[in-house]
Amino acid sequence: MKEERYVPEYMHLAFAANGVPVKDLHFAIHTDMTLDGDFSDAYVAVDSENLYILYGVERVVKVEDARRLVAQYDTHEVVTHRLEDLGELKTETLLSTCRLVANNNGEERLVLLFTLGHQSFVDRLVKVVKNIRKDEPPLHEIRLEDALFCPDCGTRYPEADRALCPKCSDKMSIFFRLLGFFKYYKGKVAACTFVMFLITGMQILAPYVGTRLFIDDVLQYDGRFYRMVGLIVLVIILVRVMATAFQMLYQVVLAKTMPWIIYDLQLRIFEAMQRLSVSFYTSKRTGSLMNRIGRDSRNIYWFFVDGLPFIILNLILFVGIFAVMFMLEWRLALICLAIIPFAGVMFYILMKFFQRFHHKFWVINSQLNNMVSDSVNGQRVIKAFAREGEESGRFATASHKQAGIQIGMANLGWTAFPLIYLFLFFGQVAVTTIGAMMVIDGHITLGVFLTFLAYLGMLYGPLQFMSTVSNWWARCVDAAQRVFEVIDAKAEVAEPKNPVQLETIKGDIKVKDVWFQYEPAIPILKGLNLEISAGKSLGIVGKTGSGKSTLANLIARLYDPNEGKIYVDGVDVKNLPLQQLRANIGIVSQDIYLFIGSIADNIRYARPDATIEEVIWAAKMASAHEFIVNLPDAYETRVGAGGQDLSGGEKQRLSIARTIIQNPKILILDEATAAMDTETEGKIQTALNKLQADRTTIAIAHRMSTLKDVDSLAVIRKGRVVETGTHLELMKKKGEYHKLYTIQLEGLKVISMD
Amino acid sequence: MDTMDLGILDIGEAEFYSGSGGFAGLRYKGEDYSHIILRRIMPMQEPFSYISVADHDNKEIGILKAVDDLPDNQRNIVLTELDNRYYSPEVLEVVSVQDKLGYVYMELRLKNKRDIEYRKSCAIKDVSRNIRMLSDTSVIIFDVDGNRYIVSDLKRLSRQSMRKLDAYLF
Repeated sequence: MKEERYVPEYMHLAFAANGVPVKDLHFAIHTDMTLDGDFSDAYVAVDSENLYILYGVERVVKVEDARRLVAQYDTHEVVTHRLEDLGELKTETLLSTCRLVANNNGEERLVLLFTLGHQSFVDRLVKVVKNIRKDEPPLHEIRLEDALFCPDCGTRYPEADRALCPKCSDKMSIFFRLLGFFKYYKGKVAACTFVMFLITGMQILAPYVGTRLFIDDVLQYDGRFYRMVGLIVLVIILVRVMATAFQMLYQVVLAKTMPWIIYDLQLRIFEAMQRLSVSFYTSKRTGSLMNRIGRDSRNIYWFFVDGLPFIILNLILFVGIFAVMFMLEWRLALICLAIIPFAGVMFYILMKFFQRFHHKFWVINSQLNNMVSDSVNGQRVIKAFAREGEESGRFATASHKQAGIQIGMANLGWTAFPLIYLFLFFGQVAVTTIGAMMVIDGHITLGVFLTFLAYLGMLYGPLQFMSTVSNWWARCVDAAQRVFEVIDAKAEVAEPKNPVQLETIKGDIKVKDVWFQYEPAIPILKGLNLEISAGKSLGIVGKTGSGKSTLANLIARLYDPNEGKIYVDGVDVKNLPLQQLRANIGIVSQDIYLFIGSIADNIRYARPDATIEEVIWAAKMASAHEFIVNLPDAYETRVGAGGQDLSGGEKQRLSIARTIIQNPKILILDEATAAMDTETEGKIQTALNKLQADRTTIAIAHRMSTLKDVDSLAVIRKGRVVETGTHLELMKKKGEYHKLYTIQLEGLKVISMD
Repeated sequence: MDTMDLGILDIGEAEFYSGSGGFAGLRYKGEDYSHIILRRIMPMQEPFSYISVADHDNKEIGILKAVDDLPDNQRNIVLTELDNRYYSPEVLEVVSVQDKLGYVYMELRLKNKRDIEYRKSCAIKDVSRNIRMLSDTSVIIFDVDGNRYIVSDLKRLSRQSMRKLDAYLF
């Protein structure tokens, strides 16, 4: 067996200095609290026999000749636990802390206390100990630190599941990657850039022709074009017409290029989203995924359509103007060069202040919007409790804050901008004074002087624009970062590399020793075992949170088990092609989603080529036909967002019809009638009974009366199957099923008496 | 309202103790609960009153009305347990704030419960949700790991710290 260990060098030294036999250590982590709840640096390591904890203070010091900073550790206390004495280890989440608890035959002991950020590390330590006990390689299935720390600078990623280093994230590389979307449009982009250069050239040329050439060469007696006013006016008109033509050309090329680039980007995001696993959508980070993606695409879009071209344009303009100014009169240009940076810095600082105000304004504005939305949706409650006055007061307070921010913003604008322009005016006065003296002394011509002043005025535009760009740029890079995160994300439930394609699926299911957890250290299924023969039905009962729906998700491979296997027709589901597996599993749950479209389209969602006869037949089988034909547009009634409102029972019958059309070999009914009234439940139950014929059916239900027709039952408690058998067998056993059944029956009696 | 039974613990019959495994325990009305769970019912407004006391199976034993009603030794046990659960060091200084790639990175000078000062760098996402005003003068900050940091009195922060934090206070 390959010897595996992971002990960072700095911890290695600390453990060695405290007499711990470091050569035997398998794994070490860093946590941050003492058992008394004080902040402390704690190093924890494990070998095959013991768990070692060093409490002390870590100092990061710079050592001569070393390229990086080095951690030095002053140990205050060393604690050693024999693994044998500790028993089973588990992490418990408190509120902002967690603890590692050892349980040796019911005798519990607190081993470690740490803040939430360290939980994933401690979970790995627990897994290492488990591996050691199972005689597996200690680091088997352990994610090592390199995935959590930036490999370049060692900084911990702010979010463990997002490999983004704030220090090393190279904004330019993200930008260049974004530019990669332009590669299919090289010609158009080159044309855009070329036209942009021409526009800038025309802008720079205009004052030269209109002022310098006009005054010095046309109006002056010794000028090259003396008295040729008509010619120079023609040139001025020509320059202007060409500038306008180039502008129009630029807009045409841009309009033909940008929508396609955004199309590519959106398509790639959407395709990536389809590929991702359910866990990505349910993780805490993706609650507002849709919103983020929409906003991010827009931010990128605006940057490329409205930002980047103008950044390039203003940059070229800025450099171009300066170049011409130097050519005209380098001494005056040097004076400008001394003034402009100050103005640039002032604009930049001012924009930072404005950003803060804008951010505050944005937040308070969202709060106000939320209040309005709350008030509109909750009007019945507000009126019922006579709280109109208080609600108005709440709104007034927030609105008052908003007014304060607006006043602050206006005050800043009124005072700061005039001051900056005053400063620039002084600069202009200096240039004018010195320039005028140079004209009087005959060093420069009047035309050069006036042209120079015109260029000086033109500099303010790009200067002010460039000071706002940093914010724009940061927003685009941030948005791009998130977009690439989705595009690059790997699906946790992956397509098998060498899939086993079954000719047909019969529907035999075997669940073997399956462990599963959504959140670290909180297992939902704990070694669950089940078997169902093809064509038979199994009812699963258990309290809320016992793991019933999780089992359904695992069979359909919406998630993969952490440990154990699930077999369909003797083949591990991980080896079956996802398409074949999911096409043969139909899930009817209480969580029904109807897509935007007609009722017919929704029924044939799984099989778009189903004929209208098949759709009607499925609807009849699902007891849905009757209510559908009563709708104004019958099967062509639009449902989903913005469509016809349907009741919960009606939607449920549509989802059953959808499953009938799919014709799966395995049917999972996950609390399909939980939220229905008795009459609707009766109709749906009839539909479900028809659907179950000749299929392997797993029926999960809280109400046991709905499971009376199943072939057998399994009772799940705390993630394990505790009883199996038929209804009669389990009632005779007087165990968990009997208890649950009796409680429900008693409850029903009380309700009926009421 | 007179008959309202909140299950307030009878202090006379309660004894909080520190068990051998390192957990807080409670002896109450002849029962010994060796591993209790303490939770604040009003964590922000009443951090030391109305403490829910549950057994290891998370079944509520009763509500401790005020920690101050307990004798010193028992009060310390309860306070330690609450501190460990609601670990939220006090912010003494906002050393630096940096907005980068959608996160706000803060370096904070903090104080733990033994008045020992230390520095910590943290990343905060979605500042409008994770930097919250608890009252007109106190603020709570949640970092991406779920850690909490408290500014119990904004007036005690230096002007420099206040300026850095101000942009995120609403």
